[in-house]
Amino acid sequence: MGGQACVFYGAAEFSRDLDLMVLVHAKNMALLRSALDALGAEPIAVPPFAEEYLLRGHALHFRCRREDVAGLRIDLMSNLRGVGNFEDVWARRTSIETDGVVVEMLALEDLVRAKKTQRDKDWPMIRRLVEESYFRGAGGAEFWLRELRSPELLIEAARTHNELARSIAADRPAVAAALRGEREEVAAALTAEESEERRLDRLWWQPLRDELERLRHARRA
Amino acid sequence: MPRLRAEDVVGEEWAEWYRLSPAERFAESMKLWDTYLALGGSLDPEPDTQSPFFDPDEWRENLADGRPGVRVLRRG
Repeated sequence: MGGQACVFYGAAEFSRDLDLMVLVHAKNMALLRSALDALGAEPIAVPPFAEEYLLRGHALHFRCRREDVAGLRIDLMSNLRGVGNFEDVWARRTSIETDGVVVEMLALEDLVRAKKTQRDKDWPMIRRLVEESYFRGAGGAEFWLRELRSPELLIEAARTHNELARSIAADRPAVAAALRGEREEVAAALTAEESEERRLDRLWWQPLRDELERLRHARRA
Repeated sequence: MPRLRAEDVVGEEWAEWYRLSPAERFAESMKLWDTYLALGGSLDPEPDTQSPFFDPDEWRENLADGRPGVRVLRRG
């Protein structure tokens, strides 16, 4: 669900870690532990390897020690803000085959939602992901109108899909501005949208950060 | 209104990247990986200080694989 998925869908990221979304289920967790053991993956920092943390939205972090993947960091998550439950995400997934191995990836719309974080680097990524979808003509008009972050493309999409844009404009001020063809207004609305998502992401993480801090403190004590 | 072209919005380089198929992008990405690893690049990622789970102490504890990190010897 991380950098590799971004490359697949059209953004570009040289990501050196591996981010996986996992189903929290006893049998699955046992398989996961076995796979991590095979990589010589050791937990780093907090929280510890336990279902409860994944379910609450924490990420679990590992670093591999096996020689051919030494240093590789793996982050596991199960509950992503704005993305919905695992079953729905799984139903929407994209499957690819590479070197005879099937790899399951977040659907583009889920990846875009998951990238709406407080981190600077995620926002240009979202723009690239949706642009690629737009230029390829894949993903659909509703997805573009709800997610495009390039003012000129949003204006074009609003003109091309006018009726749909009118129905979305009440939810998304950037689309309302796009219908008026006002590029500067669209850009300002997109900036406001990003600020709000960053705020919501900080709010989501605050109790989790507090818990991490308590766990770190307990570990050092 | 004519449909905007990728080149006009994002420039030639990105337009070319968008035109690749997902499999081709993967292949290009793997070439970069091969070069990076051949040059001795570490798999250990750089700290992401904006990540909500960033812990500066954890990064100090895990200076990875014995390879020397980058440090400033002289600042002009």
